[in-house]
Amino acid sequence: MMSVIRGIITIYLVTSCFAQEATKNVSFKTGNNLAVLRFEGWAISDPLTEFLTEELRETIRDLDIFQVQDRGITNEVNIYYPRSKDYWACWSQECAVDLGKRLNVNYVIAGNIQKKKDDEFLINGRLFSVDMETLLNEFAMNSSGITDSLLLEMKKMAYNVSGLPVPDTLSVGTDTSQVTTTEDIKRKQDWFKLPPLPTKIKALMMSTALPGSGQIWVQKKYPGYGFMGTEATLGMAALIAYYQYNKAWGGFEKNYNAYQDGSDPHNLIELRPKIIEYASDTRKYNAFMKNIRSVASSIWIVNMVHAYLVAPSDDFFDGEYFFDLEYRPDVNQLQFNINF
Amino acid sequence: MLISCNSISIFSYLQTLIKYVALSSFVLLMSCEEAKYELNNPSDPANMDLDPPALFFHPPEINAAINDTISVELYGLELNPAAAAQLSIRYEYEALEVDYVEAGPFFTGDNFPIEIVDEPSEGTLDIFIYYLPDVNSNQNEGGTWSIATVHFITKQIRGSALEWVQDSTRLRDENNFPVNIKDFGDGWVNVE
Repeated sequence: MMSVIRGIITIYLVTSCFAQEATKNVSFKTGNNLAVLRFEGWAISDPLTEFLTEELRETIRDLDIFQVQDRGITNEVNIYYPRSKDYWACWSQECAVDLGKRLNVNYVIAGNIQKKKDDEFLINGRLFSVDMETLLNEFAMNSSGITDSLLLEMKKMAYNVSGLPVPDTLSVGTDTSQVTTTEDIKRKQDWFKLPPLPTKIKALMMSTALPGSGQIWVQKKYPGYGFMGTEATLGMAALIAYYQYNKAWGGFEKNYNAYQDGSDPHNLIELRPKIIEYASDTRKYNAFMKNIRSVASSIWIVNMVHAYLVAPSDDFFDGEYFFDLEYRPDVNQLQFNINF
Repeated sequence: MLISCNSISIFSYLQTLIKYVALSSFVLLMSCEEAKYELNNPSDPANMDLDPPALFFHPPEINAAINDTISVELYGLELNPAAAAQLSIRYEYEALEVDYVEAGPFFTGDNFPIEIVDEPSEGTLDIFIYYLPDVNSNQNEGGTWSIATVHFITKQIRGSALEWVQDSTRLRDENNFPVNIKDFGDGWVNVE
């Protein structure tokens, strides 16, 4: 009977301890740190999207409701992590909360800006609570015409996010100059706009031109620097070998010419071992360079393949891209799709 | 390294890129020439089929016109250190006439060697050369050098062999011990 009572007491105490631990785990943070993920731009340029996102950050920061994380820190999180999609396509609660935890913030804003017609834009935004792991609010704003500018809409969104009423001062005329600036930026950046290429292909091209650059571009920095460093080291070794080869070749040519033109046996007998030695050196350094070339070529190719593999695959058919490589598990085949 | 899209950084990036591509292409495409050679110079003692240490005439064959002055070096191949030499050679006295003899660098140290020339009979030339000791050494260091140069005047249109008189050709070291000579290479003068 006593042992039964002791057992009950022990179980009760153990249960109480676990219950305390459980209570600790569900405690909420009360911070107001906010990260604004870069908005996804649909049919508008990347620099403009970046500019508008930054404008939203600045306005929210000025309103002093949230501690807005700096753009640099926010972008430090691998933009392609954790999924192969770009993070600005991170529209779901799980993705946003996951990123928020990684950024060590309490709130996350994700959104997109879509160009509907020539002067019509739709801005969507979502405010997630990382601590509560939930979607707190969703915003959608329609911007049409030059006067009702994107910039103003982003500012208005900042007020909405902060839970503040949009002031009357955000009238049409007040931001006309900034709107002009925005248009200028857009126009300038169009000048550099390249035809859209899938990220994988772009990474492949970059790594083909400069080993490791494609990996670095897709935020796989360590492999990228690894490939770049390896190729640079091999290149340096090849240059040193070439310098040695050149030196040996110079010695060989000088002595061999003297041998061919010479007639003094004393000189000829002294030239003979030098010629043999220099020729041996040229062969040695040439063989070394050939080996380096083989190794460097192999690593270069591996680097290209690696860049292609680690780069995130775009959903090309959802956008404006013209081809895609896709694995079809149902037929267990890799499929090449072309979209004209 | 992210590509930023403004004009200045694009051009600096391109510059770096071009440099690196050039370096990489160098690594990938460069192919260097292999050193190929033939050590077939006839004056090279290694091509004279002599077993050193040896004495030979250089050049081994001379073509000359009548009344020309020709020079033949009496050469030593990989000789051991020596202090004196008697070089005895035979030639066709009807075709050639000894003009003069001069010592070569083999016995020349800090001082010039002493040289004595004798013609005991027609067609035979004896050259005695002595190393003149200095504060460093009483003999030379050996090696492959010209011992003496004989200048001939061609007299008749005919060929003449140049031969060593092996019995009376010898080298001695500073202790008057014989210096080994294994082989002798003859010469030929063709007067046309």
